[in-house]
Amino acid sequence: MKFRRDTTTLFLDPASKEQLIYDTSKKVNIILSPSLYWVKKMSLPVTNVREVKKLLPSIFEDSLPVGHYSYTAYKHGEDFMLFAYEDKKILDLLVQHGISSVNTTSIHFAQSEFIEIPSAFCINEKQCMYLKGELLVLAPSEWISEKEKLNLDTVTLSKHTIKLQQFGHIVDNGSLYKIGALLSTLALILIGEIFITSVKKDTITLAQDELFTKYKLQSTMFQNRSSLNKYSKIHNRQTKFRESISYFLALKLKTNQKISLVAYKSNLLSVTISGVNTSSKNAIINQLNAKGIKSTTSLTNDKLKVEVKI
Amino acid sequence: MNQINPLHIGALLVALIAFLLFTLSSMKTEMLEEKTLYETSEKLALKLSSLKDVYADKKKTKRAIERVLSQSSLKTAALDVKREKSSVRISSKSIDTKALNALMGKILNGSYNITELKIKKLSETKASLKMEIKW
Repeated sequence: MKFRRDTTTLFLDPASKEQLIYDTSKKVNIILSPSLYWVKKMSLPVTNVREVKKLLPSIFEDSLPVGHYSYTAYKHGEDFMLFAYEDKKILDLLVQHGISSVNTTSIHFAQSEFIEIPSAFCINEKQCMYLKGELLVLAPSEWISEKEKLNLDTVTLSKHTIKLQQFGHIVDNGSLYKIGALLSTLALILIGEIFITSVKKDTITLAQDELFTKYKLQSTMFQNRSSLNKYSKIHNRQTKFRESISYFLALKLKTNQKISLVAYKSNLLSVTISGVNTSSKNAIINQLNAKGIKSTTSLTNDKLKVEVKI
Repeated sequence: MNQINPLHIGALLVALIAFLLFTLSSMKTEMLEEKTLYETSEKLALKLSSLKDVYADKKKTKRAIERVLSQSSLKTAALDVKREKSSVRISSKSIDTKALNALMGKILNGSYNITELKIKKLSETKASLKMEIKW
């Protein structure tokens, strides 16, 4: 259930010396004094307000003192009512009167709220406002003979409100939107990149699982490394064993020298060559050394036993 | 009138971007680790698979040995073949050197895990043989 608090309407005028008194538990509607905005009534060759708003800075360009202005407009009969105002000036005045922006429900121009007033209303000690044609203007109190005190109780607020740009004087909206858009785009790109990376990661994980299935690997890499180590050792030994055998078979032996025994067990290759004497022993060993085979030899009678660790 | 400070939105966006960058960086690191692991696993798998194919495929090794033993040059050789669960033992007290050459030529040029071998020359044409091949 949503509770709606009552609202109080206040008239904000920079020239008034009276402090605005209101019930702080209530929300406030603010009506801006004509001295807080600039107004023009114009007939423009455009149909909607949005198009008019684009033209406002150039329409007011030559008539405003230096400052940071916001603009708004609304349609009034066949014409448009055009406004320029300084957000910071209004905000400062609100703060000066102890009105927080949180408590402010709406902000209106006096122009849009007093479109039909029978006589002039005094808004402060020195000024009154009255309708000149359809524009609400200020005049010194002395000039006005028939005047009344401003009574806000009878005012029915229109739908023409403005929203003050609290930080408009620091960064203009355009830049703010650009920076916001840039940061948002960057965030979106990063989110996209995270998504792509996540998909890639999942694909790799899936491929890893498929790899295990395809090559019938064991469940842990430790087991697989152990198996690889085991079979690599076998392969290396078998390769070295065959190489060593081929070197022995390729030995240049004398006609009386013969290989009489080839034995391989427990990774030890033993080759016995008969008909070898001390002098020819060195020739055989030299041949083996030239092939890079590290061996141990023993010569018993005329038999040379060469042992190679595989 | 309640407006959010654009600096707060900016700070929120910057914080969000910082968080996203951190997340992305962590994910990229994880992905690279996964990729490295995959590449390592693939290399290991290929090596292991090819080595197992040669040295651990019991059926394939058995079939290949049977083919070698059934060749015509070995039919006359009195080879004693003992087939065990994880090995085969081939021996002969006296084998013709030609048959021995044919047998050893096939065995040594094939990819067999020879764990034991003993060839002893008996005469110019005869030798004894003892060999064990495992899988």
